Amino acid sequence: MNLCTGFEQASGGSRRQFLNRFGSGLGGIALADLVNPARADTLPAAPHHAPRAKRIIYLFQSGGPSQIDLFDHKPMLNKMHGQELPDSVRKGQRLTGMSGNQSSLPIAGSPFAFSRHGESGAWLSDLLPHTAKVADDLCFVKSMYTEAINHGPAITYLQTGSQIPGRPSFGAWLDYGMGSANDNLPTFVVLVTRNKGGQPLISRLWGSGFLPSRHQGVRFRSGADPVLYLKNPTGVDDPSRRMLLDRLQEMHEVQFAEIPDPEIETRIAHYELAYRMQSAVPEVTDLSDEPAHILDLYGPDVKTPGSFAANCLMARRLAERGVRYIQLFHQGWDQHGSLPGGIRKQCRETDQASAALIKDLKQRGLLEDTLVVWGGEFGRTNYCQGKLTQNNFGRDHHPRCFTMWIAGGGIRPGTSYGQTDDFSYNLVDGGVHVHDLNATLMHLFGIDHERLTFKYQGRRFRLTDVHGHVVRPILA
Amino acid sequence: MARLRTSPTRPVRLLLLLLLGTGTQAAEIQFNRDIRPILSDKCFLCHGPDSGARKAGLRLDLEETAKARLKDSDLFAIKPGDPARSEIVHRIFETDPDEMMPPPESKLSLGPAEKEILKAWIAQGASWEGHWAYIAPRKIRPPAIEDPWIRNDIDRFVLERLRREGLKPAAEADRRILLRRASFGLTGLPPSASDLDAKEPYEATVERLLGSDRYGERMTTDWLDLARYADSYGFQRDNNRYVWPWRDWVIGSFNRNQAYDEFITWQLAGDLLPDPSDEQILATTFCRLHQQKVEGGTVEEEFRVEYVADRTHTFGTAFLGLTLECARCHDHKYDPITSRDYYRFFAYFNNIDEAGLYSFFTQAVPTPVLAMTSDAQRKRLDQLNAEVEAAKADLARVRKEAEPAFADWLKGPLPPAHIPGLLARVSFDEEQVGKHGNAANEKKAASTSNRNTSIPGRHGRALELTGDDAIKIETGAFNRAQAFSVALWMRTPEHKERAVIFHRSRAWTDSASQGYQLLLEEGRLSASLIHFWPGNAISIRTKDKLGLNTWQHVTLTYDGSSEAAGLTLYVNGRAADCEVVHDQLSKGIAAGGVKHFAMGERFRDRGFARGAVDELVIVGRCLSELEVRHLHDGSSLQGAIDARDPKLFDWYLATASTTGQAAAQHLQAKRATRDQHANSFTEIMVMRERSRPRQTYVLHRGHYAERREAVDAHTPAWLPSGALDHPANRLGLAQWLTDPGHPLTARVAVNRYWQMHFGQGLVQTTEDFGSQGSPPSHPELLDWLAYRFIASGWDLKALHRLIVHSATYRQRSLPNPETFRRDPENVLLARGPRMRLSAEMLRDHALAASGLLVHKIGGTPAKPYDLKESFKPMNHDKNENLYRRSVYTYWKLTGPSPVMMALDAVKRDACTVKREPGSSPLQALVLLNGPQFVEAARVLAEGLMKDFPSDPDRCIREAFRRLTSLEPTDVQRKILRDMLDDQRKHFQGNPDAAKQFTRVGLRKPGEDLDPVELAATTSMISLLMNFDASVVLR
Repeated sequence: MNLCTGFEQASGGSRRQFLNRFGSGLGGIALADLVNPARADTLPAAPHHAPRAKRIIYLFQSGGPSQIDLFDHKPMLNKMHGQELPDSVRKGQRLTGMSGNQSSLPIAGSPFAFSRHGESGAWLSDLLPHTAKVADDLCFVKSMYTEAINHGPAITYLQTGSQIPGRPSFGAWLDYGMGSANDNLPTFVVLVTRNKGGQPLISRLWGSGFLPSRHQGVRFRSGADPVLYLKNPTGVDDPSRRMLLDRLQEMHEVQFAEIPDPEIETRIAHYELAYRMQSAVPEVTDLSDEPAHILDLYGPDVKTPGSFAANCLMARRLAERGVRYIQLFHQGWDQHGSLPGGIRKQCRETDQASAALIKDLKQRGLLEDTLVVWGGEFGRTNYCQGKLTQNNFGRDHHPRCFTMWIAGGGIRPGTSYGQTDDFSYNLVDGGVHVHDLNATLMHLFGIDHERLTFKYQGRRFRLTDVHGHVVRPILA
Repeated sequence: MARLRTSPTRPVRLLLLLLLGTGTQAAEIQFNRDIRPILSDKCFLCHGPDSGARKAGLRLDLEETAKARLKDSDLFAIKPGDPARSEIVHRIFETDPDEMMPPPESKLSLGPAEKEILKAWIAQGASWEGHWAYIAPRKIRPPAIEDPWIRNDIDRFVLERLRREGLKPAAEADRRILLRRASFGLTGLPPSASDLDAKEPYEATVERLLGSDRYGERMTTDWLDLARYADSYGFQRDNNRYVWPWRDWVIGSFNRNQAYDEFITWQLAGDLLPDPSDEQILATTFCRLHQQKVEGGTVEEEFRVEYVADRTHTFGTAFLGLTLECARCHDHKYDPITSRDYYRFFAYFNNIDEAGLYSFFTQAVPTPVLAMTSDAQRKRLDQLNAEVEAAKADLARVRKEAEPAFADWLKGPLPPAHIPGLLARVSFDEEQVGKHGNAANEKKAASTSNRNTSIPGRHGRALELTGDDAIKIETGAFNRAQAFSVALWMRTPEHKERAVIFHRSRAWTDSASQGYQLLLEEGRLSASLIHFWPGNAISIRTKDKLGLNTWQHVTLTYDGSSEAAGLTLYVNGRAADCEVVHDQLSKGIAAGGVKHFAMGERFRDRGFARGAVDELVIVGRCLSELEVRHLHDGSSLQGAIDARDPKLFDWYLATASTTGQAAAQHLQAKRATRDQHANSFTEIMVMRERSRPRQTYVLHRGHYAERREAVDAHTPAWLPSGALDHPANRLGLAQWLTDPGHPLTARVAVNRYWQMHFGQGLVQTTEDFGSQGSPPSHPELLDWLAYRFIASGWDLKALHRLIVHSATYRQRSLPNPETFRRDPENVLLARGPRMRLSAEMLRDHALAASGLLVHKIGGTPAKPYDLKESFKPMNHDKNENLYRRSVYTYWKLTGPSPVMMALDAVKRDACTVKREPGSSPLQALVLLNGPQFVEAARVLAEGLMKDFPSDPDRCIREAFRRLTSLEPTDVQRKILRDMLDDQRKHFQGNPDAAKQFTRVGLRKPGEDLDPVELAATTSMISLLMNFDASVVLR
């Protein structure tokens, strides 16, 4: 039970009232410490310092977008196109079982043209014309790295701080630590692009692990019922439902008079919140009141429910309404083969809407305190997986370096951070580990990642395990 | 719902007693209760068991070191009786960040109360106790107190404590409340209407519930969380798996009240019991219920290690109540579990023939497996095996009888040397690389990429391979009854760690490939027929390494026997000296739909790079040695013919003797029939020890590839049990675990069952009895229960009976203000339990109350309505499976039942022994709008309207009773009547809406009922299903 977090807020007073009713007695000792000692010593009061961000929109690009073909411009690879990856670069590091047994690892230069954009002069390939226009608002972290070499562990790592399933996701931690900033919607909402194939996503990516389950993300489905059983059963309209809830509340009030258990008050509050969600969720997911120029900004896909563009626009609407953690997933970046065609399609689906989200948040003054993160679970290899032919090639998973961009919410705009070698294979400077990224994002929320802990099985767990450093140079 | 830990408030309360001198008795500091939790939580991280993390050489978890002189100093950390000379007292009160303890960077801090208590403890003499949980429970006499309230000995412990605290127990709960509590507690279902009316004595009710088959289902629900049971493999791809027969075994085991020690022994080591039955082996599926991996590109060993680790952790949490997993990467920070201890536990579970990946391309069940055969299937298999034996004997007889005919034949005109049965003969003599003629079958030429190169060969030309480009021929589709041979010339430039020479399969072992193959491994030839590697395969390997950079003739022959002895490798015409690597093949080798025999390359495997091949021969028969020699030298057979050599006998039988050919064909046919039958068996994952033990190593930082010291299976010396000479295998581990002298097993079990009935354990940290766990609220009661449990023969039903018979259990749950203030969490048990119904109970309750519940034990998992709404949507069932108990709900790890998840079930991706039931708006939506609940409400409404036509008040009363087990009060009756009347009025104005509302779900309403009245009654019942008294056990 967290008096100050999540849905509990709606009924936060109940236990306190109950204690007061009987007189709490113990004088100088903080009430909160008494009713929740497990929290008392771990999270005296988040935020731990002044926050820069109030919410986050995480545009997760599942599958591992190729940094080499989008962000990390490496002319050397074009020069050495077709030649064997030198051992001096690979240094015997482990490869996945998919290309690790190839007899030949030929270098594949990017077939896409790169140019510099904005005042910051960010290098981007011509696959991202829209992102290029907002380059000065973004911070490109080119030196991300991870230890995981396959999708399942790698995504789980970014989202939960552990490669092995079972830990709470970032959003669940944030909900646990900071609670809700709105009265009608969940704190942590997940939007998955509809009809995308590729590497499977898993509900644990927004799970609550060992945190109480109310902290888990709520996935909005694209369709009539964005939240499980949100709609009344057929034949039950709003007045009928209201009547039921009023009578239920009466029953609960009578029950509470008899049995003064604060859980009964919590239950009353939750039924009211459920009722409010029944109108608030359809309202936020209905894009029909968006003006044409906004729809145009996000591009033609925005009219297709469940598209990445529609989800980006919905993310903005959720952000406006105080949803704290908005997690998008877009699958399909796992280009082991046929990369040129595949990545073009992915960019068509995501480039305009991602840039539109930045512009839209900015014009509403929301970018200042909204973090936007764009990236996947790892990068891709500079060498070709399978056969390198004139027009076609593929890239395998590459954990040693990849690029993500972050914007808003206290991030230094128009910057590029970290450096890879001429082969986009190894880090040269400014490595940002998965834990460092998470520590930094937490920091922007005013949270010391080492202090947001939860005691479970005798140990204090945190999102960043026993690692993570705030990457100060990218802070504004 | 609040589930608060009391230990951190204890210092506050204790300090108040110390400072203010209030309370019912003098404050006495107890080390295990008051001091150890502080030291453990705030100091052990740097001054505890982990030698790698220890600062300043100071160790505070052992009395000896804690009270010793500090390193390089005259000071003491703890000087008993002398706080002023105890360095820790100075340090904890210090405010200088460089000096204070815990240091600021640890982000840990001591509260004022904690500091004062540490100081007071030292002043009192710093008395020390070993950690309670590592000392075996003693036989304890219940407190000798008498009180009419007491019903059994549990109550003596509880009352004694309450008296000490100045509290009184609550009155006994209402009969119906108690009936409801015990019904849900023991069967997971509400009492029926007739149960409520029957004036059955409580004790008789308890016996009836314990004797019901529903009891086993209820107990199994919790056991599935503990066993991380799921109907899918988990991790990323999460395919279906077949493990539910194990679930049914658990239900049966609970129902027949199998002794707990035997119950867990079977699950850990049933396969190692003397002459184990199928049932005992099936129990070990428990050890295989961890998640499993199939994602391409995965390092197989990485996940195999993960599986073993999961077994180890589950063993720790479920049976020891210890967080063994903390010691995987380093010594435990709080408990005396060293990393070495961890890997010695790990070693017990590290000895089965398993792979870290299950099969991507086939349905093969990950080995080891148990064939789930019926008596009829087994009988048929025995018969078919007998027929194979008869055919073998027949062949031997035919050989014997053919000798005179052979002698005659040898004297007559002999045919020229030839090898019949050829499927392929490819010389690779074409200079143009691409298509290579097959002399045995023109239509089935070999093909390859022009990246391979034509070079001068052993005979004519040969191909040198890139390792990434296969040579393919559409042939070689052999089943395991089919004898066959493959011969070729090959030349390798190096010994190679691993290289594929030829194979017929989809991919390498990262996809758990099926088929047959010849590999070069560290210079040795390795030939295998594989259903699932490594547990269902035959495999042999040459002892000598192949020569380098020289042409060698290699032949593999196989006799169709499914035995390693039926495989022979010849090098340059001579049978090579081989070792058997695997000899267990009981299922097909169908290769997952592949169409080609291939050389030199395999999907994602390491090819035969820069190796050369020549003169490929494939024969659908097991060649004799003479023929193999002939393929090598081109002359042996002709030489034998010319010499009329008796060695021609096998060749004669295979080529010239009709009886010989017929007998061989007969044997092959018999084997094929037998194999076909065996291939149809359903298999389930179980445990089976490897014939050659696998060496376990300490893994540095837990990393699968970082092997350090070799260790063997052993239990830690600091955790002794009576069993001293147990074998170093899982059976020995189970013997150690279930020895009556084991300090943890019985305590952990009784605590979990106490938690089942009271919502929280006597040790609140059900999963952690170690130093960081909460100390028991009633240590003597816990020990008495544990001791008695063992003495009863680990009788679970007796344990439940004891608990639910107690006056402690029978109390009203409503606290009076004083007890609530003193004990908001009911740790002292001055009132009865209060719990929200579990996810399964909530759903089963609705089904039971409506009469929809299907009473059928076991079988395939059921898919209720909500699986259609899961993250991995699937069609729900359209039959009685919609109404089965939730313990049978199909469990997909990556998208478990959304209704169960909304109602706080656990994901079951790891061993879990405690749930955290709470309340949320999402639960409200499920209970109000979920079709399962709406349909159940309507079906209940229908039933009541039929039973009590035109009597809405009676319907209200009955609905209330069915859903709360109580009689409604006048006020409640009035609210519900108003509700019914309002809803009736509403639906009268919306008759179509009423019709729609009453048609939710698969079960359609009877046409004879008025839809408006039915809709209104359904609404009223839906309200009740959401009402506190229906959802919360009080």
